[in-house]
Amino acid sequence: MAYDQDLEFIYYGPTRVVFGVGSSREVEVEMSSLGCDRAVVMTDPGIIKAGLLDGVKDTLGKKCVGVFSDIPQDTGVGIVNRAADYAKECGANIIISLGGGSVIDTAKNVCIILKEGGRCEDWQGLGMLSGPVTPHIVIPTTAGTGSEVTFATVLFDETKGQKVLTNEMFNAPRVAILDPKMTEKLPPLLTAGTGMDAMCHAVESLHSLQHEPIADGLAIHAIRLLSRNLPACVDDGSDLSARGQVQIAALLAGWAFGNALVGVVHAMAHSIGAIARVPHGIANGILLPHCMDFNLEDAVEGYGMVAEGFGVRDRGMDSLTAARESIKAMKAFTKRIKHPQKLSGVGVKEADIARASELCMSDGSILNNPKMIIDSSQVLEIYKKAF
Amino acid sequence: MALKAFSQEWMDAWLKSIQTSQEYKEIAKEWEGSVSIIVNPDPSKGIPEPIYMWTDYWHGEAKDFHYCDKAKAESANFVMSGEYIRWKQVAKKELDSTKALMQGKLKLKGDLTYVVKHVKTVNKVVDLLAALDTVFPDD
Repeated sequence: MAYDQDLEFIYYGPTRVVFGVGSSREVEVEMSSLGCDRAVVMTDPGIIKAGLLDGVKDTLGKKCVGVFSDIPQDTGVGIVNRAADYAKECGANIIISLGGGSVIDTAKNVCIILKEGGRCEDWQGLGMLSGPVTPHIVIPTTAGTGSEVTFATVLFDETKGQKVLTNEMFNAPRVAILDPKMTEKLPPLLTAGTGMDAMCHAVESLHSLQHEPIADGLAIHAIRLLSRNLPACVDDGSDLSARGQVQIAALLAGWAFGNALVGVVHAMAHSIGAIARVPHGIANGILLPHCMDFNLEDAVEGYGMVAEGFGVRDRGMDSLTAARESIKAMKAFTKRIKHPQKLSGVGVKEADIARASELCMSDGSILNNPKMIIDSSQVLEIYKKAF
Repeated sequence: MALKAFSQEWMDAWLKSIQTSQEYKEIAKEWEGSVSIIVNPDPSKGIPEPIYMWTDYWHGEAKDFHYCDKAKAESANFVMSGEYIRWKQVAKKELDSTKALMQGKLKLKGDLTYVVKHVKTVNKVVDLLAALDTVFPDD
């Protein structure tokens, strides 16, 4: 991969990472090392039902001053405000998120409000924070979002009926604790869907207009780890070795896309997710190969690196051939992990895709796509192929 | 003759170039709202105090460009702020304004989805600014 002489970028990834089977027991030590003693845990009902909260609460003991669990699949502005009110009432000086992307993104926005005040809707914009927010430790229970190390969040804005992005350098979590045991009970479909979210982060950071060598390296290794380990997780959820490698892949892809950003796949997944409530990872996984087909001519080098990650780029293979091989590999991979192949198969109606095409044009991710998108009809064509 | 960056004459020339651009009228026909530009102080580059500029647009028309105070700047529909060097890069088209926002080089207070939806309008306004013959304080 050649980079232009005028290459310039800023890479930022300040989150401390703690990894290992049983590492969630480190949460109290990590919290104390940040000088904090009053934690509110943010989680969701599924996590509580799976019994994952108990161990964390036991470890925290009296330092856990509250649990907020009213967080749905797609979190939103109103939920963040309620969670922030609760955390304030509890006198929290640290937030611990135990869950997937929706829980983590809720917690990130709560940390902004605890430090800066106001309501969630007051913090619409980019780069608005004046300094570090309330400390946040993340214990992911899925392996895909990467939100444990990014400074971006996605929230459903109930008034707009749209998912909105925030991007705040000061909002990266302080610590990410990756405990493979936390993902052990994820069912195969959720394992595949969240895994494809990570895969999509890696691929999109490679084809993004803002890709750069550090993010590229992280993304290629993420693809390598996912291609080798995600099928094993789908086949046997108790394979903690594979689970751990997929967690690491998701984190690497998080660092990659947190810096290089994402493109049309995410813009489309956010939009169809807002309208038809398709889980984000599954929307990404269905749309990704179709978007790669769409972008191919403008992302040859990037997809050549995807082929390297998949191990399908032979020595001496030219970039265009490698890029085509990467798309074939991606299609085969989604089938291998039994990922849904069509939007119509996950509850999307034909009328939804026209609405989503329009919504997509105001999603910030679309600006970073390698192929310029000037009209919603281009997006609609991709949706139709994925329908 | 080159205009001094951030002077009223410079803002007037920018306003006029937008008002006389047929292409802008067409692209921006759905844009509504004011945009303030805040240039952070940098005494070493000839910017001793913050600069607050008010620009206002309505359905293809550019209405009013002038200096303002901090309170008014912060009341705009969209508030864009950043270091002098970043604004200079944007004004010379050395830095794409939307890329600068995404990279945290410029800050935005306001509805990002609206800005993205109207990114062509934003780019046209910046193109017209960059076309001005401008001399910067540290040139």
